[in-house]
Amino acid sequence: MDMQATKKKLNLKEKYRAMTRDLDWNPSYQKLEDIYPYASYEGVKIHDWEKWEDPFRLTMDAYWKYQAEKERKLYAIIDAYAQNNGHLNVTDARYLNAIKILLTGVTPLEYMAHRGFAHAGRQFPGAGPRVACLMQSLDEIRHAQTQIHSLSNYNKFYNGFHEFTHMFERVWFLSVSRSFFDDAVSAGPFEFIVSIGFSFEYVLTNLLFVPFVSGAAYNGDMGTMTFGFSAQSDEARHMTLGLEAIKFILEQDPANVPIVQRWIDKWTWRGYRVLTLVAMMMDYMLPKRIMSWKEAWEVYFEENGGALFKDLARYGIRPPKWLDQIAQDKDHISHQAWCTFYNYALAANFHTWIPSEEEMDWLARKYPNSFDKYYRPRLEYWREQAAQGNRFYNKTLPMLCQTCQIPMLFTEPGDPTKICYREADYKGEKYHFCSDGCKEIFENEPEKYIQAWLPVHQVYQGNCFPEGTDPTAEGFDPLAAVLRYYHLESGRDNLDFEGSEDQRNFAAWRGQATTNA
Amino acid sequence: MSFELTIEPLGQCIEVEDEQTILDAALRAGVWLPHACCHGLCATCKITVLEGEVEHGEASSFALMDFERDEGKALACCARLQSDVVIEAEIDAEPDAEIIPVRDFDGSVQHIEALTPSIKGVVIELDEPMHFQAGQYINLEIAGEACSRAFSIANAPADGRRIELNIRRVPGGVGTGWVHERLALGDRVRLSGPYGCFFVRKSLPEPVIFMAGGSGLSSPRAMIFDLLAKHDTRLMTLVYGQRTRAELYYHEEFLALAAAHPNFRYVPTLSDEAVESDWNGLRAYVHEAAQAHFGGDFRGHKAYLCGPPPMIDACITTLMRGRLFENDIYTEKFFSAADAQQVRSPLFKRI
Repeated sequence: MDMQATKKKLNLKEKYRAMTRDLDWNPSYQKLEDIYPYASYEGVKIHDWEKWEDPFRLTMDAYWKYQAEKERKLYAIIDAYAQNNGHLNVTDARYLNAIKILLTGVTPLEYMAHRGFAHAGRQFPGAGPRVACLMQSLDEIRHAQTQIHSLSNYNKFYNGFHEFTHMFERVWFLSVSRSFFDDAVSAGPFEFIVSIGFSFEYVLTNLLFVPFVSGAAYNGDMGTMTFGFSAQSDEARHMTLGLEAIKFILEQDPANVPIVQRWIDKWTWRGYRVLTLVAMMMDYMLPKRIMSWKEAWEVYFEENGGALFKDLARYGIRPPKWLDQIAQDKDHISHQAWCTFYNYALAANFHTWIPSEEEMDWLARKYPNSFDKYYRPRLEYWREQAAQGNRFYNKTLPMLCQTCQIPMLFTEPGDPTKICYREADYKGEKYHFCSDGCKEIFENEPEKYIQAWLPVHQVYQGNCFPEGTDPTAEGFDPLAAVLRYYHLESGRDNLDFEGSEDQRNFAAWRGQATTNA
Repeated sequence: MSFELTIEPLGQCIEVEDEQTILDAALRAGVWLPHACCHGLCATCKITVLEGEVEHGEASSFALMDFERDEGKALACCARLQSDVVIEAEIDAEPDAEIIPVRDFDGSVQHIEALTPSIKGVVIELDEPMHFQAGQYINLEIAGEACSRAFSIANAPADGRRIELNIRRVPGGVGTGWVHERLALGDRVRLSGPYGCFFVRKSLPEPVIFMAGGSGLSSPRAMIFDLLAKHDTRLMTLVYGQRTRAELYYHEEFLALAAAHPNFRYVPTLSDEAVESDWNGLRAYVHEAAQAHFGGDFRGHKAYLCGPPPMIDACITTLMRGRLFENDIYTEKFFSAADAQQVRSPLFKRI
């Protein structure tokens, strides 16, 4: 009798290979460089795409199944949260302003990441990274959608959540995160995967994700917290992709090392600058704090990042530039940013306020070297002025950094009383920067950054008024016109939290929900 | 109470203590499993339970969904065994790994010699032969102390009856103190083995570099003897370092071996030999000697490293600077409690 030989079962790796790379082919009608036109201009040399090790092995059929189940769970919780008026369970209405920043400043980045990974997933000549990038691209658009749905509940009740896509392209401070991602998606595929896949998703992601998700958990925001959990189960894939990408590029050719080093320097600094918003959110906007920005930086960057850069040293990669400055800045940036937003609360889609006495004591404990000395006196002075009816709103426009687009609010390394200014000349024009880091990034790619859409310049050039505005008309109020252009309703979406409609409504609705009055 | 865990596709079998997670047990046994967050949220360590029962612990319902639990999935970082269990993990099978079940063996001490002032060579004749791969280690029971110590086998497998151990005396160490002071010719001993996945990937054709220092010579010595005994013709280079000439045990043996086998190169080096001594070889650390011998270019090799952790660390850096990366570097990895505390980046999996 013949023995029927049983065919050996494919293991996971072989199965994944069959479902992905095996579907690739060598083109014969077209040249490779015509099919992948962006693969070489960045100078990265790849000799053998087969050396790419798939960082995860998830096939499309399994992907749909997992994500469908995840979304069923997430939407069940979001629905329950909405039906039970979960928004009235948040610690206090000031918390809403933290998630306005999340929706307007971060959610659009998920969508930008989707676009960037779709592009990288088209442009890498290797089938392994192409498939991995396309998977992440799908994750990112899901994250954008689920984040929007998690937050849309708040839009029914509170101000400033409306038209976030419109605002993302126009509002002055949102150009900070927008220009960061514009910079990444307009780079080549290799720089994109180092900037977002590695520097952002691996090195800095915890500093973005943990504050918002833990902040939500600490402040009673179940919807946002659940979104966070559902997304976090994808983040591990994203991190492993970033790590595999950097190892692969560094191992392929020694000439890639200095290129990658420059990208790590650039994108760590760019990402760190964007995180200024998070720093301020953690220290000032969460009624129930998780930890201070300084503590988060120490745990998530200095400790974890330190271990990573120790390992990367084996490739000849050194830690990112300007870490010494960042180490000094960690006592200051959250306070400097909040003071700036307090000043410019006329033109933002969220409210600002003076922290309570108890909150100032917390800040003094967390920042023994800086808060009482430099920032408490300032906040107390403003509080005093506000009590006398002189709540200060700055009506001029600040100078912006050409690279990070943040107003010149940061101070000289070593002197927190002196604003840091740097400038560079290029083709007869003068450009301004907030730091040595931003200046050097500009000087490496001036042709890219001279194209920056700087909100302040655009306002002064008359490009930020609604169509049909006549700036020469009698009594023209430029700020009012700019707010209309932003689709911000002055008196509702902006100004101080104290006396805002959000504050009044939340107090009234919570009163109805918890008393018999 | 402990259970047995079999990890497919390796077929490796390990003991798991109560309250110990699958991930912890695997890492400590030298089996690398993919992992990241280590507390049930990220799902990087998802495995399939083929047989037996596990308890899912604090696994998040998003990272490990109900239907997955029904399908026998588990997160290694949270799962604890409720019975003997067989899992399949996303790790690559090693074509050169033999699956040899660990057993207890009895034998007697046949020979003891002082190889250096601090290292003793002990030869044990087993009652029954033990099959092992050159480079693996055994656990030797320390009589009267109710404990055992791990030692790499320093000889090639051959007929499996002879086990040579080169044992450095650890100051104040219970196990090595017992070997150095109490163990005598003819004593009966008990050991278990073979353990470890440090072996030569013979199916890969590249020339081999062995880097050994301190008492880390045992595994490379076994590997070299095994390869040469099997008439392997690939080029193999041993870079072997000690502090002083007195500590450079087996030096003459390797000189003779190099003279007899044109495909074996021997690069001895001393890091702390007195300047006035008659040593005319290299005076450098192992990584420096390798750097000089290979001109800083290690491409196209496979490297096997064995020695004290600072030596391993320096060698890995030197190899990587010389363009030889993780996939071509092999080292025996022992996880101690201190390693688990250390913040490590997940950049490297095996080294």
